[in-house]
Amino acid sequence: MKAFRQIGALIRKDLGLQFRSKETLVLIFVFSVLVVLIFAFAFGPIFPEKVERGKLTASVLWAAFVFAGIISLNRSFTLERSHGAIDGIRLTGVDASNLYLSKVVSNVVFLFLLEIVITPIALQFLDLLDVVTVGILLKLFGVLSVGTLGFCAVGVLLAGMSTSANGGESLLSVILLPLVIPIIMGGAKSTVSLLVTGGLEGGFWLKLIAAYSLIFLAAAYLLADAVIEE
Amino acid sequence: MPPQSSNLPVFNDNGRKDGRWKNFHFSSQHGIIDIMRLRASQLTKDFGHRTIVKDATLSVQPGEVVTIFGPNGAGKTTLIKILATLLKPTSGKLEIEGADAIAEYSDVRRAVGVVIHENLAYPSFSPYENLKFFGQMYGVKQLEHRATTLLAEVGLQRFLHEPLRIFSRGMTQRFMIAKALLHAPSVLLLDEPFSGLDAAARQFVLDRIAQERQKGTGIVITTHNTELGYLAGTRFLFMINGELEDIAGKNEIQAETLLHMYEKRLTHNAPKGL
Repeated sequence: MKAFRQIGALIRKDLGLQFRSKETLVLIFVFSVLVVLIFAFAFGPIFPEKVERGKLTASVLWAAFVFAGIISLNRSFTLERSHGAIDGIRLTGVDASNLYLSKVVSNVVFLFLLEIVITPIALQFLDLLDVVTVGILLKLFGVLSVGTLGFCAVGVLLAGMSTSANGGESLLSVILLPLVIPIIMGGAKSTVSLLVTGGLEGGFWLKLIAAYSLIFLAAAYLLADAVIEE
Repeated sequence: MPPQSSNLPVFNDNGRKDGRWKNFHFSSQHGIIDIMRLRASQLTKDFGHRTIVKDATLSVQPGEVVTIFGPNGAGKTTLIKILATLLKPTSGKLEIEGADAIAEYSDVRRAVGVVIHENLAYPSFSPYENLKFFGQMYGVKQLEHRATTLLAEVGLQRFLHEPLRIFSRGMTQRFMIAKALLHAPSVLLLDEPFSGLDAAARQFVLDRIAQERQKGTGIVITTHNTELGYLAGTRFLFMINGELEDIAGKNEIQAETLLHMYEKRLTHNAPKGL
């Protein structure tokens, strides 16, 4: 019960901070919309056939979310470290694994809300909104949420390490991207499949992301103490 | 129920060995005190090739206020962070409330209240929101009442809902004291608690330290202000170049003598050319 109470308090605090820090919110939103617009302007106004549009949209969505995710992860830990708040949390005796879990959940929620806003905008600008049914859109959100979970499972652990180092923000991109390639690859493939055929073609890529996410979540949960305390 | 200071044994020269306080462990069989609030033994902290804290040994009884005087860069903050379990020592032992604070840090942290240079809180939250959040983490009962009462006590009742980032140094220090007391810790570690405070606030801190001492809280203060440090403390140590030196209990030394000794040590250890 104590752990749940602490995790709940940490998640509420994280989301409160993220939404209160308007600059992060605006930065991430503007950045994501900009990515969508650049691709739309580069490939539009007359878009290729549906298959190509599907591939293009998948690329745009994952590119936007990966980089928005890096910004969000960095900001999330910068807020903790800038005035020693993370030490304040450590002093409460909270288990580092629970601190890790709360960071993953709050970042997943924050990024997923962004995805809910950005995905329809991307579909509209890349001329796919009228082709995508509500069912496909829900499946797409499902894929994005699993991918976001995997991304944050890896990212929170690495952000916890990198933000305490000099040049941590750029360091995170360097060490995170190689490790999330399976998630980006699986996510992009699943998204293309959904947007082109409306299905997941056996769901191999989705299973890959889910398995990778769970493995990293478990490993990072066990490693969290070393990352936070060292 | 923590012991009252009036019941505490007077710590005298019998407790000292080679200029440092021997690690006393009062047994309940002797009817005095079961455990020390804090006991550190030969703590050393290296950063790379530099040794910041060298073989620091000290103990704090319930109701005792240990004041550590030292100049800037002496290693006081590092020592406080080690005692607070925020930094792991390179070597040495640390016990808080009888538990191994290096191995079981997450258990003993709840017994500790800390004031250091960083505010250990969220600047975009108000003091009330910060105390509410940290109180939830500590599991403080009647949290809202506790938070508002503490903030009123430190004189921040008019700023309950203002973001911490707009606070002056003195106001932040007041908030830090409220935060350190939030979960009623049995050990208080105060790093330069008087810095940035006006006269009224300094008196408040002194009164609060005396109040906590009466409750049996073990307190460690670091400061370079000998006057306030003497007023607050019951036992005095010097920390110069990372080394702790036990000087005397309050009943053994006058403020002027302490100041004289401190200045002498500083002069003796000053870098050549200054």
